[in-house]
Amino acid sequence: MLAYGRTRLLTRCNHWARHAHSVRTAKQDSRWPGWELVIGIEVHAQIKSRRKLFSESHSSDLTTPPNTHVVPFDAAFPGTLPRLNPKCVELGVRTAIALNAEVQTRSAFDRKHYFYADLPSGYQITQQYAPIARNGRLDLDKDGISVRIKQVQLEQDTGKSTSLPRNRITAIDLNRAGMGLMEIVSEPDMRSPEEAGNYVRTLQALLRSVGSNDGNMEQGSLRCDVNVSVNRVGEPPGTRCEIKNLNSVKFMMVAITCEALRQVALLERGIPVAQETRGFNEERAETYSLRSKEGAPDYRYMPDPNIPPLLIDSTYVNAIRSRMPDLPDATRARLRELGLSRRDVEVLMDVDSGREVGFDGELGRGAVAYFDEVARGRDPKTVVNWITHELLGQLAFRNETFKENPMSIEQMGELVDLVQAGKVTGTSGKTILRHILSTRTTDLPSEIADDLKLATSDDDGALLEKWCREAIAALPQQAEAVRQGNLNVVNKVMGHVMKASRGTAKAQDVRTMLLKLLQ
Amino acid sequence: MLENFHSPFDATVVSLLSASGAEIVGKTNCDEFGMGCVKDSSLGTDTGGSVRLPASYCGIIGLKPSYGIISRWGIVSFADSLDCVGVLARDVSTTKRVHDIIGVYDSRDPTAAPPHIRQKARQLIEDHLETLKGDSLAGLRVGVPQEYFPTELQPSIVTPVRTILDQLRARGATIVPISLPSTPYALSAYYVISSAEASSNLARYDGIEYGMRVEPPPGANLTKTANVYAYTRSQGFGKEVQRRMLLGTYALSADAFENYFLQAQRVRKLVKADFDRVFCIPNALNAPSTGPVKPVEGVHVLIHPSAIQTAPALPDNEGCSQEDDTSTLDAYVQDVMTVPASLAGLPALNVPAGKGADGWPIGVSVVGQWGSDDLVLRVGEVIERCREDL
Repeated sequence: MLAYGRTRLLTRCNHWARHAHSVRTAKQDSRWPGWELVIGIEVHAQIKSRRKLFSESHSSDLTTPPNTHVVPFDAAFPGTLPRLNPKCVELGVRTAIALNAEVQTRSAFDRKHYFYADLPSGYQITQQYAPIARNGRLDLDKDGISVRIKQVQLEQDTGKSTSLPRNRITAIDLNRAGMGLMEIVSEPDMRSPEEAGNYVRTLQALLRSVGSNDGNMEQGSLRCDVNVSVNRVGEPPGTRCEIKNLNSVKFMMVAITCEALRQVALLERGIPVAQETRGFNEERAETYSLRSKEGAPDYRYMPDPNIPPLLIDSTYVNAIRSRMPDLPDATRARLRELGLSRRDVEVLMDVDSGREVGFDGELGRGAVAYFDEVARGRDPKTVVNWITHELLGQLAFRNETFKENPMSIEQMGELVDLVQAGKVTGTSGKTILRHILSTRTTDLPSEIADDLKLATSDDDGALLEKWCREAIAALPQQAEAVRQGNLNVVNKVMGHVMKASRGTAKAQDVRTMLLKLLQ
Repeated sequence: MLENFHSPFDATVVSLLSASGAEIVGKTNCDEFGMGCVKDSSLGTDTGGSVRLPASYCGIIGLKPSYGIISRWGIVSFADSLDCVGVLARDVSTTKRVHDIIGVYDSRDPTAAPPHIRQKARQLIEDHLETLKGDSLAGLRVGVPQEYFPTELQPSIVTPVRTILDQLRARGATIVPISLPSTPYALSAYYVISSAEASSNLARYDGIEYGMRVEPPPGANLTKTANVYAYTRSQGFGKEVQRRMLLGTYALSADAFENYFLQAQRVRKLVKADFDRVFCIPNALNAPSTGPVKPVEGVHVLIHPSAIQTAPALPDNEGCSQEDDTSTLDAYVQDVMTVPASLAGLPALNVPAGKGADGWPIGVSVVGQWGSDDLVLRVGEVIERCREDL
């Protein structure tokens, strides 16, 4: 995959060329009537790989003690050299495919220079001139729009620096230094804070579904920079400002709204918007200037002389394409085709989106996979009812998530079979399910049914008849009323039978037997 | 900058030599970023001539192998795309012995030529040259590039070079005058590229993770990280290193990038193309050419003077303190004969060629196509014997 060769084609490209201001008809927005909002988003998504982008260090989470996942390369020791992690490339390609982007036959790595304490080498390795993928798109079904993806590039994350003002020191943790990131750059195709929010949420679900990123915004594994500009409807786009480092969809939407209102207010007073980089203060709900265009640093980009160009051929891309997990839209369509209701599909997908994302593209097993396994050879609608109504319902009642579900696929499968075959009643089935959740037993439902004497009797109704005669004897008044033709009262007698059978009797059978005996 | 720094790991070349039973006796002092040495021979990095020039001035063998043949893992980078581990020794056979031990593929060096490329280069040489037997050079075509006899060249250097060419001809070699027209631009391109890469590579010496650190004085403006680093970097780097970093930083700045860095890369391509045009052996790094076979007038190796002069005198005390621009420029011109092979990544070997008018040693360089290190050493050995015959 890696070519050996040193030739490079270099072109300076304008990172944010805004060629096609897309042709959507402007929608009136009561927040800024007469104005149109234009939004583009750069998402930095940490690649969910076991090791770093260019070194053998393991990835870390918030529990990892500081500076323990660091090898000499991560700390920029002299004499160390980068070695590209093929897993990161694979996840980048998966992401590109999921975004309908063109994986580039040849991409390359560049150095972006700046001095900061959490950047030990003094440069970040990124793909400034030749990104791994270009020209993708992400469809936002809810808004009925398609956002063009300009490019996807691989790059290194930085370490973390924490200021301790009391001691006048800054603490550096290099655990994150050198982890792989995907920078996913959209074209300025969004027109409202809501579309921007939907874009990030859809992208989040997509990345999770292909296993390239865990979508965890709170922990910083997905971060957004947002470009915002406003223009009067029908006029060309205005001057944009970039809002940096937004770590939640909610705050991002608030930040865009605040920024739009700020820009509109300026323009309405005849003051031009200055192109600048801004931060967002969540508490005060306002953006503030970080640096002006003139103050922008010169990163002195240079092709990295240590890393040969990354050559990706179609065989490699096709191999990955053939092993691609289903994307959310495809999963939705497939489940609907099985006859599941829209609501059931959304419940399954929603629970599924909370599943664990494994390292190096190993796909976590979520609610959809669970459903698929249980539904193999069974009626999908029955299975989805058991999962969404009974299992998820009971888990919710117990304040547990699907991740904590102790019920194996075999247990769920056999339970559905027992009930379908009439070997236990629905009521008993629910009892068995609750029993499994509370005892976390690995016993099969058939064994539990035996232990708890929940199996329906298969003695040709002898036991049922016995329970019914006992009930009639115990409730002579009600029995007489039924005999007189007051059929509503039969339910009362049935309840007695059900109690005696501890739910193992089938209601329909009990009713039939009682009516026969009380003719 | 790295005075009290001890690396937590060994360079691949050091591990390989130790494993083969070599005794590592000490580390020599190079100007600011140098390397270790072994008895009978020593290693050094050659970015633009730092092995070949000293060898020429001292009258010993100095080899800069093909780029990518010897692992750079553990080597302090100056300019990654040019840095090579070179070998200095009294004779060619020792040089070859060391080169054979350390010239193996190392997956820790991403710029190392993988085994199949090395094999391809060997095959291409075999395809284009009958094995040379004994002292006979029958069938070998030696190119002499006219651009390597510039006006700066000391006249006393020409005669010994001519003598060697005569002796090679006497042993059956064909001497062919050739032209490498991009040579005059190579030096400027070299200084732009090497300084740019150095400015990038030396950014890591900031006094945080390792090495020397100068604490900012009380009351210093610490609002920017760069302000904190400046104390360490101003004191830790010498004048010449600082000069190169400033030059390189400028070459990479947005305004200068196109006219300096990219222009230098274009020149580098031209220099490579020059060499590929004169060699009859194709470059194993290029995509396989489907075109017609190279014309027979192509040469197997090149020979030219290694330096424009014998060892320059150390500046006297006055000159030293003056640091005037002329002396700096003079020092840069020293590299004019060695940098083209560095830019093209080709193997180049200095072999002693006698004495100049001032009685100090002079050397000739044998330069070959990429991967033909063995051929270059083989020709060097013959030159060595020619000298013994004198």
